[in-house]
Amino acid sequence: MSVFHSLKVGFHRLGSPPNFYRLCTRLAPWLWAGFVITAAIGLYQALYVVPPDYQQSDSYRILFIHVPSAWQALAGYAIMAILAAIALIWRIRTTEILAMACAPVGAAFTLICLATGAIWGKPMWGTWWVWDARLTSMLVLLFIYLGIMGLYAAFEDRRKGARVACILVLVGVVNIPIIQFSVEWWTTLHQGSTINLFGESTMDPAMMPPLIWMTIAVKLMFTAVMMQRASLDLIDQDRRKRWVDDAIGAQA
Amino acid sequence: MIPEFEYAAYVWSSYAIFAVVIAWQALVPFLRRRRLEAELREERAFRAGSYGEQP
Repeated sequence: MSVFHSLKVGFHRLGSPPNFYRLCTRLAPWLWAGFVITAAIGLYQALYVVPPDYQQSDSYRILFIHVPSAWQALAGYAIMAILAAIALIWRIRTTEILAMACAPVGAAFTLICLATGAIWGKPMWGTWWVWDARLTSMLVLLFIYLGIMGLYAAFEDRRKGARVACILVLVGVVNIPIIQFSVEWWTTLHQGSTINLFGESTMDPAMMPPLIWMTIAVKLMFTAVMMQRASLDLIDQDRRKRWVDDAIGAQA
Repeated sequence: MIPEFEYAAYVWSSYAIFAVVIAWQALVPFLRRRRLEAELREERAFRAGSYGEQP
């Protein structure tokens, strides 16, 4: 009971803009540092340690950035959807702002995923792009992310913009299982899942470490940028309030 | 030092795109913070009646 109570109190404290701002600005540099370290290890292993694939040769090294970016694009959307639901149900402003901060970072990872996938596709499939279910649904995810950003920016009243965009976030959730299961439901040029959390993966274990390090790296980076963007949005919205004067004055 | 890969152009261009997008994601909040802080300083100076004076 006491643990639940302290969790509840902690959650409510995070709803307070100064506390939320402090948390974001203090955590972000550490998350960036974590990203730099894990990405350095991941990139070193991806480029120098793991051997070439017996069929794809060195082209498969692209997957060490393509796959973590794809996972993060989907995970980012899931996080944004949970935050959007909380924001719509309980009307917590900091959650609303956090949800909106997910969209540009998620869009960036979707863009990396699509671009690197196309670059890998050219030598391996013989084409940059095909309109198969996995690729098309991923492109739709990018458009949804951009739509959310556009909708949020289109309203003079930021809170109203966030609420409308949160509804679009929840509508867009339908695309997530379509992306995930597209390779099972339809015949696609894109391969099926190679990594399986709950079963046997078909990827050689020697190739796993860089993938794991890069996955951790992009998660840290996503959280860092999300927090930075959210804290700045909060300052922008509250620019006439005393706590902003205090917070910015203390840093200047 | 720089590993020689088969399909090198494809591999390096992918990693370059990754680096550029990550750098862009790092840069945007940094620039926005700078702009916001400048705006807030201006607003504060305006309220204090010292607008236009050198800090």
